[in-house]
Amino acid sequence: MNAIRGLWRSAPLVRNVILNKSTLTRPFATATITPIKPIEDVPSAIELDKLYKRVELEMRGIDPAVLLSYSWFCIAAASHLGIEVTKSWALRKAEKERHTLLRCVHIYKKHRVQYEIRTYFRFIHLQRLTGSTCDTFLEYIERNLPEGCALKVTKVECQKIPDHITPPQE
Amino acid sequence: MYLIFCHKSVILNKLIKMSLFIRNYKPGVAYNAQILWRFNSTTAETVKQGEDEEEFRVLDILHKKGKLQKRVNRRADIQPDRSEKMPTDQNWGNVWPGPRSFHPSSVPLPIRQGYVPKGQAPPGKKANAELMKIPNFLHLTPPVVKSQCEALKKFCTSWPKLLNSEEAIEKNYPMEIISSDYCHASPTIRNPLARIVTLRVKLSNLKLDSRARDKFLRLVGDKYDEKTDLVTLTADRCPVRKQNMDYVNYLLTACYHESWTVEDWETDKCLEDMEYYDFDLNPSKKNLVNWYLMSNNEDNNLNDEQVKNFDVSKIPNGVEYKSAVSELFNEGESDLALNKYDTSVRKLLGLPEKKIAN
Amino acid sequence: MNTSIIKIAQASNALSQFSPVFASQFHTSSALCRVVSGKYRITKKRDRPLTYEMANPPHYIAHRKSWNSWNTSSLKDGLRKSETAVEDEFIRRFINGTWHGLVCSEVIIKRQFNHIRIAAIMRRAVSPTKMYFLLGYTEELLSTWIQCPVTLELQTVDSYEDVVFKYI
Repeated sequence: MNAIRGLWRSAPLVRNVILNKSTLTRPFATATITPIKPIEDVPSAIELDKLYKRVELEMRGIDPAVLLSYSWFCIAAASHLGIEVTKSWALRKAEKERHTLLRCVHIYKKHRVQYEIRTYFRFIHLQRLTGSTCDTFLEYIERNLPEGCALKVTKVECQKIPDHITPPQE
Repeated sequence: MYLIFCHKSVILNKLIKMSLFIRNYKPGVAYNAQILWRFNSTTAETVKQGEDEEEFRVLDILHKKGKLQKRVNRRADIQPDRSEKMPTDQNWGNVWPGPRSFHPSSVPLPIRQGYVPKGQAPPGKKANAELMKIPNFLHLTPPVVKSQCEALKKFCTSWPKLLNSEEAIEKNYPMEIISSDYCHASPTIRNPLARIVTLRVKLSNLKLDSRARDKFLRLVGDKYDEKTDLVTLTADRCPVRKQNMDYVNYLLTACYHESWTVEDWETDKCLEDMEYYDFDLNPSKKNLVNWYLMSNNEDNNLNDEQVKNFDVSKIPNGVEYKSAVSELFNEGESDLALNKYDTSVRKLLGLPEKKIAN
Repeated sequence: MNTSIIKIAQASNALSQFSPVFASQFHTSSALCRVVSGKYRITKKRDRPLTYEMANPPHYIAHRKSWNSWNTSSLKDGLRKSETAVEDEFIRRFINGTWHGLVCSEVIIKRQFNHIRIAAIMRRAVSPTKMYFLLGYTEELLSTWIQCPVTLELQTVDSYEDVVFKYI
């Protein structure tokens, strides 16, 4: 509800921006485009769906419990959509970024205090997704990403070798 | 079990409200009677007090009652919790549709959170900041996920049946393009690392002859891994992924076609320029062939080209000799290589085997 | 090892003889090992109210209490580290000033995509109309300044005593 309210409120802002842009760009557009003939419509070839051999999800977060819940959700969603999950694991230890500071403000160099920022990792590997499935699934899980978590998706797409990679004929 | 817990957590609230009800309504209404019966044992005294206040007005010299009434009035305009009115068979997805911080009045669970010394109960769900901090998954309960996935299923397509093995994929789609997407919390959705594109292809899948293969390997340099036979080209110099993708494809195409072109100076390469020992080009082969032909009383007036194309496997033990000589030159002298050379020469010339001196 | 220490000591002696400034460089008194930030002292009457957040000192973060800011900037390779910290501090100050005397807990800032959700516990000391006004006012102004959709998720309590965890 609140989110909708926020959107509604920000709508005039967006509208303003769009209006401003159009007024700015219009003179240019008319000046440049009219002399050039519009490009002929090329009958587009049927767009083939992409094939993803492997999709690797890497989640980072500050709380391992949140990451675990999120990975459960991802695996549940994948199983409902019929996607093969090959692996799901977490690093045994968090990565720690440490800062060593003086415990006192400016003297007593012997006495230090250490602060650390931990980053927990979690990985899920999926395999054999078509382009549309991959887009749907990723959109769904990315929209439900909890706060304080970052997601990195590595996609391995498999393609045919292009036609021009053939030995030249003489 | 759950209902009982819930009951206990709201018992205080009910108490307050009940006294209110009793003050405002006359006894005998069905609702009141029910409550009275339910809390009979624990709250009999309070009820009595309330009734007394309703019946008689007490002289209040210190104006204590005014204060009390004021507080009661303020509490009266606050709505009761939504969670108390929820039916048990409701659709939870409609109550909590999206991500939101925890709110105690809409979650009918007796949750407690917090660290307390032994023997105490942790703080309850009301006015508990810890519960508001932790990201909750109340909008992603299993039935909700299932129904949402059912709705999403129509956008999915299944993986082609014929490609259901690694070999089939490898055979039909040998080229891999690797790229990464990033999702993070920030006003901008851009991440500079998303531009990097990697292209991977097995060298054996590219159609190259031995000369072109040699030249291709020289062109790609350390981007070729001998163990896995993979050529890996990574591009991160352009700001946009599309440009990097085009650049990677350009690199592969350029390297490939460059490796097929034969420059004039490539024919100038002579025996001294060879970076490895090729048995067919060296005088060693000529000597071998001449010796073989002479020993068989055949015509030995072969020119260089004929010697080069002479099949060594015609000579008994010739292949073994060839490999021994090549190994000796290519991998350097070692006991093993020398022994191998020794035995192959003895076999070739029909000499007796070396007796191992103890 | 020992000889080197002796050498250094001799050198320092020589230096201290040379100049009194070098002689005063050595501090031998013990350090005052007391860290006071985020910790509260016990009062004589034992009547200082503490919330759960205040009752647990900072080193219990991630053990007994969790963070007040949830974002991906603090993670490894996070983007906009400093900007996020400054914005969070600004939001905290703005909320504390706008809802003056009403905020009973820490201001919790959660960032999801470009959406900022601010959670807090407020006192019901002003009328609901005023509260709704403040809600809209805060969301509108913050979203204009930070250029992100901002949502306030408030919980209300009767008085400050409801959030008090213990008295010390």
